[in-house]
Amino acid sequence: MRITSGTWLILGLLALWEASARLGWVDSPNWPALSQVLAALAADMATGELPARICGSLWRMGAGLAAGGLAGVLTGLAFALIPLTARLFGVVVELLRPIPVPAVIPPLVLFLGLDDPMKITVVALTVFFPVLTNTLQGVQAVEPDSIAMGRTFGIGPLRRAGFIILPAALPAILAGFRVALALALVVTVVAEMIAGEQGIGSYLVLMQFAGRAPEMYGVIVLLAALGYALNRGFVALERRLIAWWYAAGREAA
Amino acid sequence: MRVDRLLAPLSGLVVLAALLLGLEWAVEAGLIRRALMPAPSTIALRLWDLLASGDAMAPMMQTLRLVFTGFAIGSAIGIAAGLAMGWWPSVFRLLEPLVELVRPIPKSALVPPLMLFLGIGFAMKVTSVALVVTFPVLVNTLQGVRGVDRVMLDAARTHGWPARHTLLHLVLPAALPLVLAGMRISLGLAMVLAVLSEMLAGEGGLGFLILDMQRSFRVRDMYAWLVILAVLGLALNWLFILAERRALHWQRR
Repeated sequence: MRITSGTWLILGLLALWEASARLGWVDSPNWPALSQVLAALAADMATGELPARICGSLWRMGAGLAAGGLAGVLTGLAFALIPLTARLFGVVVELLRPIPVPAVIPPLVLFLGLDDPMKITVVALTVFFPVLTNTLQGVQAVEPDSIAMGRTFGIGPLRRAGFIILPAALPAILAGFRVALALALVVTVVAEMIAGEQGIGSYLVLMQFAGRAPEMYGVIVLLAALGYALNRGFVALERRLIAWWYAAGREAA
Repeated sequence: MRVDRLLAPLSGLVVLAALLLGLEWAVEAGLIRRALMPAPSTIALRLWDLLASGDAMAPMMQTLRLVFTGFAIGSAIGIAAGLAMGWWPSVFRLLEPLVELVRPIPKSALVPPLMLFLGIGFAMKVTSVALVVTFPVLVNTLQGVRGVDRVMLDAARTHGWPARHTLLHLVLPAALPLVLAGMRISLGLAMVLAVLSEMLAGEGGLGFLILDMQRSFRVRDMYAWLVILAVLGLALNWLFILAERRALHWQRR
């Protein structure tokens, strides 16, 4: 890696952070030094409390992603292939889409309580919309010729959907999942911040109330790393799943 | 075609009405506990009370002001930084690593530390909204500036346009479709962060009211405020799309 002016800027800012806290330029309990933040993070990881919370958050995120993603793909397929369903339910979907996610948490708490079912549902709801939109666009962009060819060969509608349309729409669907993945992590943390005592989000708020700034910043550093790693991992997975698409010389959107 | 376009949402509205009626019936028949989901008609009455008495006005304005201010600040920063990074390679080299470092931080996780520094007032909420708005706008602006036709840039240079003129009258308009697409994504995120920061700060606004009503078991009020928030989200989204179409009227496909 080449050291550019940008790398120097980051190093400079981090050094400034460390120095301002160590030398008392910013004298505030809310402004711990970078080294203290990293030490607090390491200590939390060592006790096993934070790893357990991360696993819980990731499990809720994964479950919500799977449920919402599946629902999104199926609804998208239905909307695209059976125009009547889009006409009947399109309006309801469009009315629900712009509701900011945190706002659906209080009513869901009434129905599902504070624990896993509520949080998984919130994540699933968030994931549903981008996956639905991308599936719909992906299916509509499938070359009519390939569908017509399937029909010519006498392939039934269900098998056409599964073996011709779905694979052809896969790049678009995966792009939707990539957007959804980032949102899913954020929303998992948001749900945990607002309700219940589980996971990373609740830990973050707990540390805020306890006035333990180093731990709080440590969790944020961890979340950023987690988000980055998840995105990287997903892109790698995407490259494997739709290698044929990239082989055709196209670039990631 | 004309009639068809009118009929499509109409059948959707019929389905919506049917769903509401079904819900009303299910509540009346005792299939759904009234404490969790009051009959839609009673929610509508409560909604009417809130609107007619003018009680809905102040929280609505509070949330709208937050969304607008944060959205404007975040968009301005995103566009300015994106333009500068796309135009001057030295600025790109300086800022790109920093942007890539800050971008994966879930902005919702930044609300607790922001509360430590800025308290629970307007400053904290506006900062968190502006933060989440900045990055999608920045990334899209950058992409838009990079996608400007080289031939046009050469033509501008041939005509002896000064850099400022080229930026304002060539680069910015050419990048506008992508800039606006980024802003559209950011508008939804701005609503999310506005509601979340209101919930965590507990100092008024629609987000706070929804959570507060749930916690004090005033379920009908909770749903009424939720409907107001949803309509607001829908209206903002719709207004933005209208404005976007108007701004891009030359881009008819």
